[in-house]
Amino acid sequence: MSRILADIAYVRSGDKGDTATIGVIARTPEDYPRIKRSVTEEKVRDLFGDWVKGRITIYEMDNIESVVVYMEAALGGGATRTLRLDQTGKALGNAILRLPVDRDNV
Amino acid sequence: MKDVVRLGSGSGFWGDAIDPAEESLRKGKLDYLCMDYLAELTMALLQRMKMKNPEAGYIPDLIDHMRTLLPLARKSGTRIICNGGGVNPRAAGEQLRILADELGLTGLRIAVVEGDDMVERIDELVDAGEPLLNMETGEGSFGELRERVVAANVYTDSSGIRQALAEGADVVVTGRVSDNALYVGPIMHEFGWSQDAAHADLIGSAITAGHIVECASACSGGMSSCFAEMPQMGMVGFPIVEFSRDGTFVVTKPEDTGGKVNGFTVKEHLVYEIADPANYIMPDGIADFTTLTLEDLGNDRVRISGVRGKGVPEQLKLVIGYQDGWIGEGMVMFPWPRAYERAVKARQTLTERFERLGLQADDILFNFVGLDTLHGPATKDTDIPDLNEIGLRVAAKTGSRSEADKIRRACTQLWIMGPGGSAFGTPSKPRPVVAVWPTLIDHAAVTQSVTLLEV
Repeated sequence: MSRILADIAYVRSGDKGDTATIGVIARTPEDYPRIKRSVTEEKVRDLFGDWVKGRITIYEMDNIESVVVYMEAALGGGATRTLRLDQTGKALGNAILRLPVDRDNV
Repeated sequence: MKDVVRLGSGSGFWGDAIDPAEESLRKGKLDYLCMDYLAELTMALLQRMKMKNPEAGYIPDLIDHMRTLLPLARKSGTRIICNGGGVNPRAAGEQLRILADELGLTGLRIAVVEGDDMVERIDELVDAGEPLLNMETGEGSFGELRERVVAANVYTDSSGIRQALAEGADVVVTGRVSDNALYVGPIMHEFGWSQDAAHADLIGSAITAGHIVECASACSGGMSSCFAEMPQMGMVGFPIVEFSRDGTFVVTKPEDTGGKVNGFTVKEHLVYEIADPANYIMPDGIADFTTLTLEDLGNDRVRISGVRGKGVPEQLKLVIGYQDGWIGEGMVMFPWPRAYERAVKARQTLTERFERLGLQADDILFNFVGLDTLHGPATKDTDIPDLNEIGLRVAAKTGSRSEADKIRRACTQLWIMGPGGSAFGTPSKPRPVVAVWPTLIDHAAVTQSVTLLEV
């Protein structure tokens, strides 16, 4: 059965200026390597399309089985000037849960 | 001398509840209550209030909050540290002195920490050769914006807070001190640490503690992905840090309060709004979150150890707010049957109206509420079923208020021109935009000062 990230991860997202940050937390230690394989710069860029105009960096936190997705120029100008309803990107993180889980077995 | 300092988080933003702070003061045996009120947009709003009235510019709720908290804090021997001074900490301090006098809190010492406000010093900084490059975009053309600046504040370190505490302050009120310094300051003060290499790991740990609890209930069940498992969030307990001299600390919350503190809720906030977790840069130092160990002790207690620090950054973040036009927006809801079709037709009609009204906009965004407002292009392409209802939201960025008002007018015109069954809430007025220009300046360009007011 093909799974999506929503089955194995939790998220919390927010803003710093026009940068959106998404913390992705593994539900179990076994899920962490799957998250690392499934959340890549390329997949994140494909997912968000023209809502993310800048660099995407993915930081790994092995000690707490989480990754941080850092997306620059991603909030339509930042909280105070964006036209989006979600001015601070609080809902943006949930979109990452749509990514398919890489099927390779660990 | 204490080996453990107890710090309560009393506010996560301007708008947060005050009853959890009261509860922490009653039950928490706190040495310190630390309260964050500020955000980028808040500073700009406060600066505008100060322009209208030179005695304003601090958090309007501050005095009411302190009316409740000051008598409790005196009873429990808790010192309060808050950045509710906004862009006018001096006026806030004076009002607090009057309040404390009314409350009969004789001998109370209120310290005002200033030095973060650079709005009057922009020209001086530019003349002194500070490039003020935009740290996000790399742009360097700040000069053109100088006429439009409404606020400029440095995220300062904890040195002013530490000085205030050393001078015996019971209440410390600051301007744009970093949220984090509200916690790092008292910890460094209690343990007598200075900003040097010998204390880098310890300060890194204090920074981490501050990061975890500074948004108050965000680490005790608020904003949680496991929201359904969080009990009584309406009675949530705000977090308390028990910080030990050896740099380890426990995050907990008062007994018999809502929410939870566990390994997961702490992780949720550790990953929040950070860039490189190995270099979490704060004005008091740089923390490495990737070395820490997190231990769930049960009973709403989580222990953190092993944080490494990397010394003090050479530069501080200066956020300059400048006027940047207007935003007009509107929303309309459409009912079943053929709700989506109605919304698409309304979008077409609005586009025609914008053209007829000669709308001059830099950018226009349409979204279907209930479909793609939150995730935009990441929204999954599915067949749209016969929805019960759907909304159409439009927002546009314009140069003037009158242009932005055309959005409101066009949306109102849909009342009759629009598809049958359209429902409208109260139209929203155009709002002015204060854009932010984040930049870095030399640590040495910033000097904090402390003024003590005694009741």
